[in-house]
Amino acid sequence: MRLLHKTLLSGLLVVALFAIYAAAQSKSKTGLSLSEKVQNLVDMNAKKPLLRFNGPKFREYVKSAPRNYSMIVMLTALAPSRQCQICRHAHDEFAIVANSYRFSSTYSNKLFFAMVDFDDGSEVFQLLRLNTAPVFMHFPAKGKPKGADTMDIHRVGFAADSIAKFVAERTDITIRIFRPPNYSGTVAMITLVALVGSFLYIRRNNLEFLYNKNLWGAIAVFFCFAMISGQMWNHIRGPPLVHKSQNGGVAYIHGSSQGQLVVETYIVMFLNAMIVLGMILLIESGTPKAHNKNRIMAMTGLVLLTVFFSFLLSVFRSKAQGYPYSFLFK
Amino acid sequence: MNRTPKMLNSKVAGYSSLITFAILLIAWLAGFSSRLFAVIRFESIIHEFDPWFNYRATAYMVQNGWYNFLNWFDERAWYPLGRIVGGTVYPGLMITSGGIHWLLHVLNIPVHIRDICVFLAPIFSGLTSISTYLLTKELWSAGAGLFAASFIAIVPGYISRSVAGSYDNEGIAIFALQFTYFLWVRSVKTGSVFWSAAAALSYFYMVSAWGGYVFIINLIPLHVFVLLIMGRYSPRLLTSYSTFYILGLLFSMQIPFVGFQPIRTSEHMAALGVFVLLMAVATLRHLQSVLSRNEFRKLFIVGGLLVGVGVFVAVVVLTMLGVVAPWSGRFYSLWDTGYAKIHIPIIASVSEHQPTTWFSFFFDLHILVCAFPVGVWYCIKQINDERVFVVLYAISAVYFAGVMVRLMLTLTPVVCMLAGVAFSGLLDVFLQEDSSKRMGTAISAATEVDEAEDSIEKKTLYDKAGKLKHRTKHDAQQDTGVSSNLKSIVILAVLMLLMMFAVHCTWVTSNAYSSPSIVLAFHNSQDGSRNILDDFREAYYWLSQNTADDARVMSWWDYGYQIAGMANRTTLVDNNTWNNSHIALVGKAMSSTEEKSYEIMTSLDVDYVLVIFGGVIGYSGDDINKFLWMVRIAEGEHPKDIKESDYFTDRGEFRVDAEGAPALLNCLMYKLSYYRFGELKLDYRGPSGYDRTRNAVIGNKDFDLTYLEEAYTTEHWLVRIYRVKKPHEFNRPSLKTKERTIPPANFISRKNSKRRKGYIRNRPVVVKGKRTLK
Repeated sequence: MRLLHKTLLSGLLVVALFAIYAAAQSKSKTGLSLSEKVQNLVDMNAKKPLLRFNGPKFREYVKSAPRNYSMIVMLTALAPSRQCQICRHAHDEFAIVANSYRFSSTYSNKLFFAMVDFDDGSEVFQLLRLNTAPVFMHFPAKGKPKGADTMDIHRVGFAADSIAKFVAERTDITIRIFRPPNYSGTVAMITLVALVGSFLYIRRNNLEFLYNKNLWGAIAVFFCFAMISGQMWNHIRGPPLVHKSQNGGVAYIHGSSQGQLVVETYIVMFLNAMIVLGMILLIESGTPKAHNKNRIMAMTGLVLLTVFFSFLLSVFRSKAQGYPYSFLFK
Repeated sequence: MNRTPKMLNSKVAGYSSLITFAILLIAWLAGFSSRLFAVIRFESIIHEFDPWFNYRATAYMVQNGWYNFLNWFDERAWYPLGRIVGGTVYPGLMITSGGIHWLLHVLNIPVHIRDICVFLAPIFSGLTSISTYLLTKELWSAGAGLFAASFIAIVPGYISRSVAGSYDNEGIAIFALQFTYFLWVRSVKTGSVFWSAAAALSYFYMVSAWGGYVFIINLIPLHVFVLLIMGRYSPRLLTSYSTFYILGLLFSMQIPFVGFQPIRTSEHMAALGVFVLLMAVATLRHLQSVLSRNEFRKLFIVGGLLVGVGVFVAVVVLTMLGVVAPWSGRFYSLWDTGYAKIHIPIIASVSEHQPTTWFSFFFDLHILVCAFPVGVWYCIKQINDERVFVVLYAISAVYFAGVMVRLMLTLTPVVCMLAGVAFSGLLDVFLQEDSSKRMGTAISAATEVDEAEDSIEKKTLYDKAGKLKHRTKHDAQQDTGVSSNLKSIVILAVLMLLMMFAVHCTWVTSNAYSSPSIVLAFHNSQDGSRNILDDFREAYYWLSQNTADDARVMSWWDYGYQIAGMANRTTLVDNNTWNNSHIALVGKAMSSTEEKSYEIMTSLDVDYVLVIFGGVIGYSGDDINKFLWMVRIAEGEHPKDIKESDYFTDRGEFRVDAEGAPALLNCLMYKLSYYRFGELKLDYRGPSGYDRTRNAVIGNKDFDLTYLEEAYTTEHWLVRIYRVKKPHEFNRPSLKTKERTIPPANFISRKNSKRRKGYIRNRPVVVKGKRTLK
């Protein structure tokens, strides 16, 4: 629904831009005066908060001299063939900033937001000597952009808040980010509740499974596994899946005790689960069953418990420098 | 009159209680002694930061009495604001140690209050293990209880907050937590007003001791709520919860710091909601017994809807009107995990508030963390009212521990209890036959105190086995089909694991959790000798001896409590981070240039500035490494003046060498840390001004201070103290003699080509023999 809306909008935008472009083309040959440029920008902005430039327009409105307005330009590559995943996210965030600015009380003709797609204006990229995307640049009203006018997305990221902060730093115009309320979480929640509800309704004559202790036990134990293997850390910090070392090898275990990799947490979760399984088998082997079964259970449990605990201990040892103890193997 | 079985019974009971007593005593002793590493290695000293404040407050209370303490306005903190200490602390800790002090002095045992403070946490760890035993016994069995008691006595997750010298709220709060839960479970089981009133009293002690009481007042209602959902309502539940809630509410409001929070903040609303719900359920139950079925159904539907809508509207309206405060930031960050990072840098800056890696779980709990899901599993399999409680406790605590390292502390007790359940279940199975034979070998094999306990208490278990539900199952089978060889192997393996646990705990305690962090120790790699760095106390002692009594010391907030506690000087900000803008002002002073920060310092009446610098010895927790947090916090309040990006290089790095950002190389913190460091050569071969912490030669070597002068630097340069000059004693910039002449502003020369000589206007003409004309 949202996607459809978006494509429609962007389609409209393209049509509108073409119209403007055709109109502007005739004038631009002569070079526009400052007031004309500002007027054009304001007009365009009235239709769409985020202006989309190609090569000539970029030169006209951003590069050429008489200007009294600042420009925040995102240089990006949105075409699917470019395979730039983060460009799409960056574009969404940037659009949020542009929208918030357009409809805020601080809106004026001193600052405009624009974007250049690589496929529309590759000469712009050559002009600015860029070979990465996305890049956020500020073009001040006077003079050329300096080093600090390029936003350092590696350090601050490209969330709408940090873009707004960057804009505030460079232009002294503070933009209060207004996000369109995100309904996806609510929708997911409602869907989930509806699913569970309908499931319960369908099975209303047979609700025995709600009293199934094995089910609840499995859920609780799985939750414990998720927490003690540090999934919450992954959720908050977002570490990489694996670590590629310099000599081409792949490390699954983070070297220091301060961090962890996603695969590592799955390994730990598996080891923990095996240990727990081993202990449960050992305890269950006490209940009366057919002769052999108990013995097999006890032996399996013992092996699982000791072997996987030693594995866990050795993983731990590799992360803690100077930890002296190990069990079964190093 | 069959006397013999009775006597036999009493004999067995006597033995088992003797063994129980012995094990708990040993657990207490083991827990106490493994917490003494710091005292033996260093001395009997208060550790870290917050304990220094607690100690200072306790000493004040002992000196001036309880009522003066309650009314204490501390003008030496948060200059010039001051702090109302009596109304902003949890006084339980001070009352406890003050009470012990009073008691000992009544008995004519003269003990210094400092020693009581140092040893309070280790002593309470024994009480914690006893209450854990009691709780686990209520939940499962005495054997599991003894396991849990021995586990919690030595587990690092709890030792980390309760070593000798770590005089902090958590040390006594975990005892209060466990004891409250024990009394609560007991009251749910019996439904007696006595036990629930006792639970409320214990809850009162917990509220007076630690802010974590919120955990109790949310977990117990959750327990009740889940019991209601499960259809386990009983009059016992009604009695115990309503007694506990009402008494607990009234008690908790007696603490000045808590005040009216229990009826006004969202954190406490769950308890109220559950109370109302429980009342509604009880009413319905009663009506059900009185009314006919049809009437009841009508009433149920209409009444239920009305009450539900009414409660919802009431909560929303009250929140909107501001009567009920929304969640505070610290609690909010537990749910929305990204919240603190964006909105509250001061919370995010504390390392305790970081999420927990699996490494820390294993480091703090070792085998217990692998074993406790087993306990969860069996508690759910054999569920009853009180086991619902322990399962909820485990699930919520493990979630909180995952979000914040600090809350590992609340997870530890429940992990010990559930692991105790798992291990006792395991050994129940395998020590069943010929247990008496094996007992002797097991004891001799296990030298660790802990192991001895473990194996002894199996006997008690076995003796009591008939009473307990789950064990009757095991008892029923006689031939399990597991050969005795296999059994002994399993027992050996399990004992081996437990021994490794004990060894691990001791190693972790000794290596990770026994540093006072005021006195640092390092091992010399050449001759293996141990060196002690006592720079902090050296500096604080200097401050207390060489500065005016009312001198004001500016430092980053980490050191506020220590300066107040040891040097007894006025500080601007301290570890009680209640006023963010004040901290931001100090951060701004530290991150501005000398000139600008002088303005801030004069406006705050600062006399001395204290910085921690680790570059000489390679101490990583110094102020330069914390510097970015100062900048961030300052930026939050003064975004116009301080910008974080200025302190990074163009490539986004934070570096102190010649390529560092100019704003960093000229800020006050940099200058105070590296003043005259450029002249120091640490090695014969290395360059001068080489910072060992950041492994770089510093970028700004030759500079002078204009507005401050170096007052004192400790032996290893760890603490540097500067005096802020008064306006009349600045180093005035020197001028060369030629430049000192001042050209007058409105002088026009009258000399021209004719009149080369100067003349005096209206000069009296002197003629001989005549009077001069005026």
